[in-house]
Amino acid sequence: MNRHSFQPLASRGRHVVVAILCTFAFSSVLTVGLSVWSTARSKNKAAIVEVAGRQRTLAERYVEQVVLAREGERADPATIAQDLRESGRVLLEGGTAPPVAGDDDEISLPAEGDRIARAQLEQERRLANDLTAAGAAILAHRPVSSVHLTAGEHLSRGDATDKLRALAALESNMALNATRTIAQATDRNIQNLIVLQAALGAGGLLLSLLLAWGLIVITRRQTAHFRSVVDASTDFVMVFGPGGCRYVSPSVSRLTGREGAEVVGEAVFSVIHDEDRAAVRTAAKLAEPHELVFRVLDASGGWRVLEAHVSDLREDRQVGGIVLNARDVTERMQLEEELTRQAFHDTLTELPNRALFRDRLDHALARSRRSAEPLGVLLIDLDGFKQINDSLGHDAGDQVLQEVARRFLAAVRGADTVARFGGDEFAVLVEGADEDQAIGTAGRLLEHLAAPVSVAGRELVLSASIGIVLRDGATATGEDLIRHADIAMYAAKENGRATYEVFQDEMARELGALLGIEHELKLGLERGEFKLHYQPMYELSTERVIGVEALLRWQSPTRGEVPPARFIPVAENTGLIVELGEFVLREGCRQAAVWHRDESVEHDLVTWINVSPRQLVHAGLGDTVRGALAETGLPPHGLGLEITESAIVEPGTNGERARRELEELHELGVRIAIDDFGTGFSSLGQLRHFPIDAIKVDKSFVQGAESDAKDATITSNLISLAHALGVLAVAEGIESAAQLDWMRQFGCDNAQGFLFARPAPAGELYKLLLDPPATPPGSTAVA
Amino acid sequence: MRFATIARLGLGLCVVALAISACASSSGRHHSAGTLVTVREKDFRILLKPARVPAGRVDLKVDDVGPADHELIFIRAPRGGPLPLRRDGLTVDENALKSVTIGVLEPATPGTIRHLDATLPKGRYEVFCNMAGHYLGGMHAFLVVT
Repeated sequence: MNRHSFQPLASRGRHVVVAILCTFAFSSVLTVGLSVWSTARSKNKAAIVEVAGRQRTLAERYVEQVVLAREGERADPATIAQDLRESGRVLLEGGTAPPVAGDDDEISLPAEGDRIARAQLEQERRLANDLTAAGAAILAHRPVSSVHLTAGEHLSRGDATDKLRALAALESNMALNATRTIAQATDRNIQNLIVLQAALGAGGLLLSLLLAWGLIVITRRQTAHFRSVVDASTDFVMVFGPGGCRYVSPSVSRLTGREGAEVVGEAVFSVIHDEDRAAVRTAAKLAEPHELVFRVLDASGGWRVLEAHVSDLREDRQVGGIVLNARDVTERMQLEEELTRQAFHDTLTELPNRALFRDRLDHALARSRRSAEPLGVLLIDLDGFKQINDSLGHDAGDQVLQEVARRFLAAVRGADTVARFGGDEFAVLVEGADEDQAIGTAGRLLEHLAAPVSVAGRELVLSASIGIVLRDGATATGEDLIRHADIAMYAAKENGRATYEVFQDEMARELGALLGIEHELKLGLERGEFKLHYQPMYELSTERVIGVEALLRWQSPTRGEVPPARFIPVAENTGLIVELGEFVLREGCRQAAVWHRDESVEHDLVTWINVSPRQLVHAGLGDTVRGALAETGLPPHGLGLEITESAIVEPGTNGERARRELEELHELGVRIAIDDFGTGFSSLGQLRHFPIDAIKVDKSFVQGAESDAKDATITSNLISLAHALGVLAVAEGIESAAQLDWMRQFGCDNAQGFLFARPAPAGELYKLLLDPPATPPGSTAVA
Repeated sequence: MRFATIARLGLGLCVVALAISACASSSGRHHSAGTLVTVREKDFRILLKPARVPAGRVDLKVDDVGPADHELIFIRAPRGGPLPLRRDGLTVDENALKSVTIGVLEPATPGTIRHLDATLPKGRYEVFCNMAGHYLGGMHAFLVVT
């Protein structure tokens, strides 16, 4: 209904009207101009005709005057002769014709333009000259034959008077002839003018008719265009008047599946949603509001959402109503809802995300303050999830998270909110729950989680650490509760995992201590507070030291000696492990090079350095190792790298790059061993193709072998597996002679542990290298 | 008897047809196969070319070159002197010449070409313009048919 939408056609219509008016105006101006010009010419022609006619009279008078004069009567032929000649000149050249003996006034003439008339007027002038010359000859008593005649006439008959009369007749006849010619030319001009004006009128009329026809065509096209646009438009147009809906566009019928009559009048409100009907009625009656969203029942029985612009065109005579111009925004609304949902939900598990959880928590806190009802927040972190992700891949990890989400939902009440904060961190909001009920919820969560999960062809047993916090006072904010739950959750992890802890104030203080470690770690690295200790590795068949494992130690000036289990996880989480790893590598290589250059030490001694998974994933391990070897002069075969099983199965490009770098280092001569073997998820297929030199059996199996038949079997099998792969088997953590005996029985190649020697600084170990104990390893603990 | 009547009637029609064909005719579009005589009328003279033609069909092609309008009267020249004049003394008395008049072309504007056909026996013929003073001014000429 917006008129401006048809502007191009409307402009063309106006142009046509202007063209019609211009045509009429041009035609009229041309016709009037021609008429004026023609009238002026006719007036001139009339004067010429009058003067030419007068010449006849003058010629006759001249003859009479000559005859009278020759007979001695009183006469003035000379004046008439002069008038005759002057008039003849003026007729031809234009000017003022003299009056004729007082009978006529002076007459102004234009020069004659017609070719034939001019020729005749020239002849008339010659004849007038011949006539007056002949008259003069008669008056002078000379023969007329003595006069030189200029008009081609040959007078041979009669006396002088007869000849004079004949000349006068010729002159008169020529004047008459010229008059007739001019009159005929004027008639022709008038006829031509009539024809021209008729042609102009007809042409103008025809052109105007053509333009009018064009205007009609344009108008029809415009109407057709409007109709087509309205018919084909997916927009919905409804015009409301006093009697309800007066008009609906075909698109409304298509949408509702009802014909025009079924959706006009009051019937249109039957397809509008009950909740929106009042708003539409108001808009249709008052043209307010200008923007309106309402639902319409479509042909399939579903609801479509329309967004309408309301225009008040009651004053417009073309419309005379209130127009609702609507479009279907159902998909857009759905998309908006979906985007909103995505903004507040976790796409993997479909659970509310942290933002929505915070919103619900804030609302719950407000309700809790008003009602004084208790409220609990549980923060849950899956135990060992990173290992699952590292070893089985992210797809498997995602499946685990989805399964965990389902189980958590099954474990809580319908009114509770389960959310995923990201990674393996979940949260549960339990409204109206006291400590016992919150603990009960935590217990159900752990219970539901305990059932094995089948992922990637494996049965996984999951557990989680849960931190519980209860609203403790009116001032607690949502952020406080989450932070305290996080502290409690951390405490649960510290306490052995697969459990829950309720937040206590002293936990916050402990957390502060933990947070301080990170800062001190950075300072310690800068201040050189880290040292390496070395633990020897024995070859069981020869009972000699064939290698040492470098172990990091931190002597903090404020904390004293900090155990690795305390600071390594912090370094892992903060990324400091990469810098620490480089330090270990360079320092280990430096010390190994010193021993290698020492001829007193076994030549084939290998110094083993632990490489953390994060260090492996971090780009540049190969360059760092090669750089350390080059700087220290340690030959590659003097260095061994201990990696975890996860390094073999690390997915993605980072994993592939790490494996490639390890392969390159192995080709260079660097030894590679799998550390803590048996605790991870390495694939035998991948292990078979990966270039390793040794497998270090985890101490949990080694130490359990003497008391647990299962551990003994596993250890035996792991050692056999190493041999099957063509690599050495190293038993870690041997602390008793019995364990050593078992290892010997299983055919283990090498071993290390407190039974042989505790990790010691390089200087102490050097002594051991120079002077091995006389008693065989295992008989007596070293250091 | 009836046949003789019909034969006489047919013969009569043929004579009439021949008589009609002997009469002069003039037309804008001319397809005459007769001897062409160019008649050039100009102020104030008439020129015939040729001025002598054999007896038979003659086609007068009359060209008025002006500047004045001219007519043409074609007569068998009467014996004796000049043509008789009317009482005005300025124009030929055409009534006196009716018996010898072969054809008349009314006045025409300069640039007009007309034809006048006639089947002429041997004799002396005259053409003239009888507009006032034109004959006296010299507008007449003779055609000799041999």
